[in-house]
Amino acid sequence: MSFYLGWISEAHPAVPAWVTLLFVSILTAMILCLAFEEKLHAKKSVIAGLFAILCLLLGAVFGLLPFGPISVGGHEINLPVYIPAIDWGVIAIILGSSLFVDVTSRTGLFTWIAIRLTKASGGDPLKLLVFYGLMTVVFSAVLNNVTAMIIVGSLSGVSLKKLQQEDKLLGFLLVEGLLTNIGGLLTLVSSVPNIIVGNAAGIAFIDFFLKSSAYVLVATIVTIALGSRLFGIHRLSSDEEREQARELVAGFDENDGIESRFFFWFGAMMTGLFILTIASTSVLPYIRDLGMGFVALSFAGIMLVRYKAVADKFYEAIDWDLLGFFAALFVVINVMEHALVLQLIGTGLSTIIDAPSDIAAAGLLAVSAIFSSVTDNIPLAAMLAKILQAREHVPEQLWWSVIFGANLGGNLTPIGSASTLVAVTIIHKYKIKLSFAGFIRKALPYALVHIALAIIYVLLFF
Amino acid sequence: MTRIDQFESVFKSADKPLFRYEPFSVGTPLVLTDLDDEAAESFAVLSGKYTGAGGSREVSDQRVIKGADFATIEECLDLIAGEKPDLICTYRGLHSDCWRWGQSLGSYVEVLTQTVKVPVLVFPHPASAAETIAAAEAGCRHVMAMTDHLAGDSRLVNAALFFTPAQGTLHLTNLEDQQVFERYMEAIDKIPSIDSAAARDSVLAQILKEARDYIKSCRAVVEEQALDVEIQETVELGLHVADYKRLAAARDVDLLVMNTRDSGQLAMHGLAYELAVELNDIPLLLL
Repeated sequence: MSFYLGWISEAHPAVPAWVTLLFVSILTAMILCLAFEEKLHAKKSVIAGLFAILCLLLGAVFGLLPFGPISVGGHEINLPVYIPAIDWGVIAIILGSSLFVDVTSRTGLFTWIAIRLTKASGGDPLKLLVFYGLMTVVFSAVLNNVTAMIIVGSLSGVSLKKLQQEDKLLGFLLVEGLLTNIGGLLTLVSSVPNIIVGNAAGIAFIDFFLKSSAYVLVATIVTIALGSRLFGIHRLSSDEEREQARELVAGFDENDGIESRFFFWFGAMMTGLFILTIASTSVLPYIRDLGMGFVALSFAGIMLVRYKAVADKFYEAIDWDLLGFFAALFVVINVMEHALVLQLIGTGLSTIIDAPSDIAAAGLLAVSAIFSSVTDNIPLAAMLAKILQAREHVPEQLWWSVIFGANLGGNLTPIGSASTLVAVTIIHKYKIKLSFAGFIRKALPYALVHIALAIIYVLLFF
Repeated sequence: MTRIDQFESVFKSADKPLFRYEPFSVGTPLVLTDLDDEAAESFAVLSGKYTGAGGSREVSDQRVIKGADFATIEECLDLIAGEKPDLICTYRGLHSDCWRWGQSLGSYVEVLTQTVKVPVLVFPHPASAAETIAAAEAGCRHVMAMTDHLAGDSRLVNAALFFTPAQGTLHLTNLEDQQVFERYMEAIDKIPSIDSAAARDSVLAQILKEARDYIKSCRAVVEEQALDVEIQETVELGLHVADYKRLAAARDVDLLVMNTRDSGQLAMHGLAYELAVELNDIPLLLL
């Protein structure tokens, strides 16, 4: 540590080493607070917001912040220093896509798909696990992993209760929770770490999809097979049982949540178009300059026309805590950059990053997974993206190591990702006992297989 | 409300009970009277018009217990136990003159409806208003199944379907108790975190929708089974007895079908008792 601090102080004499250390301790405190947010009974946005205020104040006191006008398109404008610190592109993508998904879910499209699959399974537990597993992956990829977990998890609770198979609910919810993080790897917009790291690395949507899809496919099959084996989820054995199960699921009406046929088909068409436009943003003239955030916000705006009189209800439903958290987090990381904390961490990580390429990739993936399992994977992704961005000629392998590690680490603990937390919430809602350690015990075999597969994949194909 | 609850509600709402067609059968009806030979036979003919003992359905054996066969409730129950019928046809005021005042079913019928597990078809007393009996003698064209919770009650609908002849009309009636509804809405009005107007609209829409969806599934099954029966629905909020009386009169109903037992309830279901007493000019099938 003293070697690194000495090196930084020599390279940047304006920032004393003790100041950098002070900010390191602030960053550590924030990460710890985020890890224990449940215990603190505090929302992420409040925790990150308070740390952002503290960082800005100390940054101003120590003269670290670049006050003064900034240049936008050749014009100098005055902006508070914390405004350009925020990555508004990321905020726009998250805001736009969550609003779009929320409005589109009102068309009944997602519940229609979910119920059709339930009926297609004929109520057979193993078929249900396969269908729900695939649906979790696809919904996580197309929507986001939290929404996917909420849709598939709540349906699992209702349908297994109806089928009198509640004893299998824990297995279903755990497998679905783990698959949200696998599905979250499928596209550039499927999870926030993908957006942050993908943007920093300049990975296009299609490129991302092509490179991650083989892993997602293999990991999904392995997870479902393991889930079936470890939780004893098998096919129904007799014709009588099959007939009874078929009759029970026949009572589900997929059309129940559809308010308007026109809006349903419009929603389906817009979802297809949304995916297509997001996928081709980097090659569409004009659109590529406006970015994916513009695409997401535009689609949300068009969908809102149907609910123009009650649009405020959708604004209320936006996850402002998440958006506030991102904004505050970007500010904290920006100050950390000025305080040379990121440089210090980057230097520390150079032991791994500068190792022979295969060891570097495997090490970075494992370290990212371990860190993202105990704290939020978003600060980790944002920090590592900044650190890698600051280096010259970063091999593609390393960017993907961060992406895989940040996503898959979420499967190690119940607090590792927002979607596994949702899975645990549903598990507890159904009065199934599962402690923190209990989750780790049950999830560990899957998480280790996922991480091992990811390391092999990154080493073989990048 | 969390998004988990929202989606859970969507899926719970999509999970609908479907009508399961299990034809109700009356193979061995028992006619129970306190009348003597000729009058008892004529009542047996009247009940046969409803049960099909007159030849329209396959009724293997319609047995008749006459007035002279029993003198106490105990004897009556013993006779029934010996006959093992699958339907009992009788009338209000059996072995009693309470029918003259119309305030009771009579002790025999009340005990029967609770102690005997088979359905009881209760006619107006044969000596009551001649026009009522004349109407009953014309047979059964319009049947009404009524309850305050129709969704999932296949037994009630199957029983009502049995008594509805070809080209007849089956009225499926779900009347939600307005007083109970208002009581809960009053409580909701006092809870600041609940939007009262939205709650009133949503709760009312949902409870009525459940019954309507079930009737829709009944229609689908009737069509699928090619039963030549017209189904009409009445689903609304109401003040039970008064509104059921109004609806039965307005629909010119020949037979009312209703449940009388609640699980764990020893006496007759409160609403069923009130209705059975009040609707004294219409034949009733008490399940």
